[in-house]
Amino acid sequence: MAWLTSSCVVQAMQSIRSPIALRTLLPQRSAAHTTHTFPRASLSTTLQQRKNVRTYATEVHQSSEVPPAGEIDFEHFRAMPARIVPVSPSYFSGIPKFYDHLLRLERLLALNATLPTVPSGEAPRKAWMKIAQFREHLGEEVPTKKYMGLLKVVYRLNCIDPSLIPEEVNAALQEFVRPGNPLGEAPAPRQLDELGRARGKGKRKASNAVVHLVEGEGEVLVNGRTLAEVFPRLHDRESATWALRCSSRLDKYNVFARVRGGGTTGQAEAMALALARALLIHEPGLKPILRKAGVVTVDPRRVERKKPGHVKARKMPAWVKR
Amino acid sequence: MVSPFCWGCLTPLRQTSRTILPSPSTAVSRGPAFHTSAALQFMGRPSQGGKKGSTVLKFRQPAVAAMKKKKKFVEKARPPPVGERKAIRKRIVLSNPNALEVEGLQELSEETMVDSRLRGTALALPVPMLDQLRAVQAFKPKQGWSIFRRPCTVLRRETLELGRFFDNVTGDVERRGAVIKKIVGGARKSGKSVHLLQAMAMGFIKKWVVFTIPEAQELVSATSSYAPLSEENPNLYVQNEATAALLSRTVAANKDVLSGLRVSQNHPTVPAAKPGMTLEDLAKTGAQDQASAWAVFQALWKELTATGPAPGLEKHYTPRPPILVTVDGLGHWMTESQYRNAQFKLIHAHDLVFVRHFLSLLKPGQDQPSLPNGGALLYATSTTNNPPYVYTLDVALKQVAARDAGVEPSSPQFPQPEPYSKTDPRVFEVLESPKSKHAQEGRLQHQILGGVTHDEARGFMEYFARSGLLQETISDGWVSEKWTLAGGGVIGELERIGKRLRVAA
Amino acid sequence: MVYILGLNFTESILVKKALQSFFGIGTDTSARLLARYHIHPTCKVGELANKQVLDLTAALSDMKIENDLRRQVLDDIKRLRETGTTRGRRHALGLPVRGQRTRTQIKTAIKLNRVDRRL
Repeated sequence: MAWLTSSCVVQAMQSIRSPIALRTLLPQRSAAHTTHTFPRASLSTTLQQRKNVRTYATEVHQSSEVPPAGEIDFEHFRAMPARIVPVSPSYFSGIPKFYDHLLRLERLLALNATLPTVPSGEAPRKAWMKIAQFREHLGEEVPTKKYMGLLKVVYRLNCIDPSLIPEEVNAALQEFVRPGNPLGEAPAPRQLDELGRARGKGKRKASNAVVHLVEGEGEVLVNGRTLAEVFPRLHDRESATWALRCSSRLDKYNVFARVRGGGTTGQAEAMALALARALLIHEPGLKPILRKAGVVTVDPRRVERKKPGHVKARKMPAWVKR
Repeated sequence: MVSPFCWGCLTPLRQTSRTILPSPSTAVSRGPAFHTSAALQFMGRPSQGGKKGSTVLKFRQPAVAAMKKKKKFVEKARPPPVGERKAIRKRIVLSNPNALEVEGLQELSEETMVDSRLRGTALALPVPMLDQLRAVQAFKPKQGWSIFRRPCTVLRRETLELGRFFDNVTGDVERRGAVIKKIVGGARKSGKSVHLLQAMAMGFIKKWVVFTIPEAQELVSATSSYAPLSEENPNLYVQNEATAALLSRTVAANKDVLSGLRVSQNHPTVPAAKPGMTLEDLAKTGAQDQASAWAVFQALWKELTATGPAPGLEKHYTPRPPILVTVDGLGHWMTESQYRNAQFKLIHAHDLVFVRHFLSLLKPGQDQPSLPNGGALLYATSTTNNPPYVYTLDVALKQVAARDAGVEPSSPQFPQPEPYSKTDPRVFEVLESPKSKHAQEGRLQHQILGGVTHDEARGFMEYFARSGLLQETISDGWVSEKWTLAGGGVIGELERIGKRLRVAA
Repeated sequence: MVYILGLNFTESILVKKALQSFFGIGTDTSARLLARYHIHPTCKVGELANKQVLDLTAALSDMKIENDLRRQVLDDIKRLRETGTTRGRRHALGLPVRGQRTRTQIKTAIKLNRVDRRL
């Protein structure tokens, strides 16, 4: 098996290519390492001799001291493999272990393709390894796209009817499950704190907001100021309190918000999201209404960055002929 | 030579006539076909401006013949006459004939202004009083009076408190001669100026003498004349034009009260003030003769704050009514004015005797209260019209509130300006008001107008609905929703919401 | 019509502008003159009191303005030219005097700096 490691193979190849003078040593190499000293010593002595003898450049040099190459011992050479074959067929792919896994899974899928399946929603939920974990597990730089392809096969195998699934498949799938039990520990539902406050966070554009919601009579303080002072535009005030308004809870709660960053629109809508999340802690039953009102949905859009060579993110400078 | 026939369809091709083509002999003498400028230079420049044959270029004269542009026909509208634009800007419309008449609308009167059952309802200002209020410039152009049939104000908690005070000072024997001194602050659109207006209206109802300074900025913005007060006081400046304007405002608004009072003090500095003449006439002389305006104002003030007649003039004396003084935009008085002294240095606003007089009223009087016959000082700050540095005033007002709450100036809780901040010691000095020796004289307070309550907001929105501006059923839930949107019942924001809904409907 | 230093001004113009119409009085000098006699900056000529007009006239007559100032400036330029200084030569050549670049933008110098300089 020593041949399998790459360094051994390279050594072997180099030794094959090395000068014929040394080739004679090849068969003996495994027998005795001490023989290495012999040709070197003889070579160095001949060189020294050559140094001591002063000759003319045109003079024909008598090289009788250098011994001729010995005959190749073909019998021993034949015992070596003619071509070194790696164990894994995907050895030269760069990520052999990954392809071994993939090929194994595909073989399993082909064997069990005829088994009945269940819809993907009813298949047993398992937390599959994330790409970073998988890379660490294999020790290979697996591209994300390739891993996604592998996961597709995994998903398909997982959809086989649980009562009929072969033990072999189950064992194979188990290798891709994240260690521990991540799905078992669902995050604890958020609670009101001891003072009856609900806390929600929201982001929109470049703004972020933190809202503390308590039961009260409809007072709103944003950064310590009233709603009218912070948002001069009536539309912003409405959108900031939209979650309470569409559930007609505007006079049942007091809002204390801290908003940072961005402009007025972003701040108002960040506050709307944070407020909706805080309200859901108080009354989880409002979720369908708030979802319909569009205050639970996160708007992930951000300003696209400006690029070099462009005037803005996409705009190009005017094209002028000459 | 091209064949005269098209070989595809065997029809004769049209040939260009030889005469159209340029003859080789003429083409040489003419300029090149495309570049007119070169040709023009070759043939000599066209004469410009009457100078014939002058081919010498002037300095930087364009080498290309200038194209004559077609003159655009611009219709020149005559600009409006001088002062008309300002008149339009400052015009105050108090009535809208398209708005509905509100049924059962009560007027502000002696009874209604103290009736706490009416709290939260809109009360109309009496029609005869509108002229007086206009005379003292109580209405501001952007207060939205023009969308209703009649000018009305909401009776809110602060108004009722003020009404009770007015009632007590005039009616109650024990409280006679009481003075309140308030600096009215609060958020933007919280109704500070309208609060002053309500005070003026109550003053007119109760037959007080009302002095108003509707724009404090006008006194310090260097738009009216000024002069040193006298030889002895070269560092104090008198503003005769502004004083005359104040006198004429006061005369126009308080005609009834002033015509019933007679000069009963000696005024050696004012020769026009003869014993027995009415105070109305006295004030009129000052309004007409600007040079003596300040002296006349001082004489008038002396008369109004007199508690008894001068010896020998007893027959002219009648008890003096209380005085109401309102100032709007106090911040402008708390910094340097735009006026310059002879050394070209800016004059501090406190060196203008007009400003100094009204600010000195905030301090407790020495021998007698600053308003011996009772009265009220209501000085409102502004949030939108302020000079650049009002930081000192902010701190000073916090100090006023702290002093009023009983915090000792030596205690660590007493608000102090930040170290290294630039403050004006004269502002602290003028707003530092120790407790008065006189029981009737109240201490300087900082009253902050907040939002109205839910009930008051409901009354206000109902008034909108009854005027035909709102077409919604007004319920408690609806009102409290608007109350929140208006930043906690800020009345100006409520009005904005009421107006906006009208457009949407 | 109000006479200030022998000149006639319509009543509707600002005193500040009236003063600036004299050669040698600019914004700063006029503002200082106004402050010296306690005239506010938006004052019109018609609103001036008689005494203020006389004061202004007296102050202006003490100042070196109009022809006196023009003569002095011309004399200074002439002196520079006669002593043969570089500045005098630049004045005579119609070129900028104070070390400006001459590659572009010397129209003012071309217009003003000549041998028989006018002001």
